[in-house]
Amino acid sequence: MRISAALLIVLLSACSGANNASTSKNTTTTTTAVTAAPSPAPPGQVMKIGIDLPLSGGDASVGISTEQGALLAIDQAQKNMPHGFTLQSEALDDAVQGVHNPEQGASNVRSFISDSAVLAVVGPYNSNVARAEIPVTNAAGLAQIGPSVVADNLTIGPEAAQLRRANPSMNTFFRVCTIDSRQGSALAQFARSLGFKRAYIIDDNETYGLDLADRFEKDFAADGGTVLARDHLAKNTQDFKSLLLKVLAAKPDVVFFGGVTSTGGGLIRKQMFSVGLGKTAYMGGDGLADLATVAAGQADGSYYTLAAPNAMKLPAAQAFVKAYRAKYNADIGPYSANAYAAAQVAANAIIRAIDSSRGAIPARAAVVTNVASTKLETPIGPISFDKFGDVTNPVLSLYGFKNGQPYFIKQIQLKL
Amino acid sequence: MHEFLAQLANGISLGGIYALIALGYTMVYGIIGLINFAHGDVYTLGSFFALTILTALGVSGELHGVALVADVAIALIGAALLCGIVGVLIERLAYRRLRNAPRLAPLITAIGISFILENVMQIWKGPAPVSFPAVVPNPSVMVAGVAIGAQQFLLVGSAVVMMVALQLFIHNTRLGRAMRATAEDRDAAQLMGININKTIMLTFLIGSALAGVAGFVSGVYYQSTWFFNGFGAGLKAFTAAVLGGIGNIAGAMLGGFLIGIIESFATWKFGGQWSNVTVFAILILVLVFRPSGLLGEAVYERA
Repeated sequence: MRISAALLIVLLSACSGANNASTSKNTTTTTTAVTAAPSPAPPGQVMKIGIDLPLSGGDASVGISTEQGALLAIDQAQKNMPHGFTLQSEALDDAVQGVHNPEQGASNVRSFISDSAVLAVVGPYNSNVARAEIPVTNAAGLAQIGPSVVADNLTIGPEAAQLRRANPSMNTFFRVCTIDSRQGSALAQFARSLGFKRAYIIDDNETYGLDLADRFEKDFAADGGTVLARDHLAKNTQDFKSLLLKVLAAKPDVVFFGGVTSTGGGLIRKQMFSVGLGKTAYMGGDGLADLATVAAGQADGSYYTLAAPNAMKLPAAQAFVKAYRAKYNADIGPYSANAYAAAQVAANAIIRAIDSSRGAIPARAAVVTNVASTKLETPIGPISFDKFGDVTNPVLSLYGFKNGQPYFIKQIQLKL
Repeated sequence: MHEFLAQLANGISLGGIYALIALGYTMVYGIIGLINFAHGDVYTLGSFFALTILTALGVSGELHGVALVADVAIALIGAALLCGIVGVLIERLAYRRLRNAPRLAPLITAIGISFILENVMQIWKGPAPVSFPAVVPNPSVMVAGVAIGAQQFLLVGSAVVMMVALQLFIHNTRLGRAMRATAEDRDAAQLMGININKTIMLTFLIGSALAGVAGFVSGVYYQSTWFFNGFGAGLKAFTAAVLGGIGNIAGAMLGGFLIGIIESFATWKFGGQWSNVTVFAILILVLVFRPSGLLGEAVYERA
């Protein structure tokens, strides 16, 4: 997904570059009036879902297709609204001078909070923006649903607790995507399903790579596999052959790499061939999605995951894919389906909150409670949340390489 | 035993690259007492030049016969020559006017040049590692049960040949004598009619050309290059030069091979994350007991 996003950015940056300068501060308030009701609703009965995404500059190519997914869901939710209520969307751009900006994100969220009609927020796109926004929505008790932010520490662990400091007893942040470290579990399950028994694990000694390798190591062993050894890479070296000679002697079925292509993932695959490990399988997380840029000739026999379903291939998503194409005359973007699901969750929670508030505009806290108890069918599968706000049935997609090109293998519904 | 030999062979190959780079460090230090921190990046530049030349020649895979010899020669000589020119330019622009300035000044301009080269290379070929064609076929020979590839022989062979040629040049030619004289006493050499500027330029030309050769052979050996390679490799090569006795050509060679072997064994026995720790811990130990390095006595012979 990141790859296709990068390609789109290259294609679109020419178009978006021109109006960057003028619109970077201009938060595009596209208050899409989705008034399906025959008569304009009374002012007291208007409710809004805020959308915060990067909508200009380099991130706009993915930001806008994500926004459109959310807008479509809000549009469709209109027909399910109880009589006399209108659901509107308000989108704000968190990019400043063409780059997503945590301060701008936090300021957008504050402006949502000051508008009492806003009952939930969909967004942001980037994990570092989420880090700035979660404390704000948490303090205000406003439900926020992220479509695409995958960093573990937004919901889990001491760093996540820090983000919820203002209101520790109430979790207001949810996300419909899965999280980075679950890729390790998915890869372990897949490795075992391919019949691999002996794994040699290498990581790049960086946060992402260590977490990924830790999870793989634990799950692969728990699933009956043997972890032969675990090794870490040195920084600033281009020679991994001595390490790989060691790997060769251990005779693994699969070499697992926790890290990204540029921290050694590419060179390790390349040098596996020169020490005689060319026939051994190679696996890693989404950090290896661009493996072919370094090891085009050696990529075959390698596998990687993306922490999101491939919505184009999901049966449940076909109606959404069609509706999206009908409305926007374009194919869905990498996170359109996720944003659609996130907005669906928000709209559904608002509708249920109205039911229990007996026809009054519900309180924000009631919306949060209803988001937390979500049980909803969405294009990316059934969604419900655990107590941290993470989905309980994460779906990841698995890819392999053929002739140096990535190809989609299957979705993995993770057993937790 | 088998794994020991395999690691030894790997360490010697790695050391060959360090040794080629270390020659440039040691020559420049010998003649003007400057640590040319941009030298590691000139090495990366060499692989970039070679890659560009090979791409222009339409080479994308293994070559054989006449094409192998011709294309390798063009890429190798081209990379060496271009690196030599870059080295001379660096000396002219960033070091010459500072030759009599406090020693800190040229050190800082050296670091500045290093950053400039790294960033220019990043803009040139992008932030990710790039593929380098495996120009030279790599049939392997069994030596004591260990498969050693032709590329490894090429790598180590070119390092040794370069060092021998350099030694002969410095000890048996007029220019070499001028270099030795300049190294020993710049003012006296000038009084004897030696053109100091030309001699120092020649030193940079040769040292940088050797880095270009190292860039080419490492590109072939690893089949990839990266704008940031020179940082790590340069630091280790500099370490090798100091370990062997900076200013001493045979010392640079010895230091290079030692560092390569130590790094390989440390990765094998202690794990990759300990390889740098081991290399630099040994360096500290050696320098504490022998501050002038392993072959450091032969100061009068420094190039």
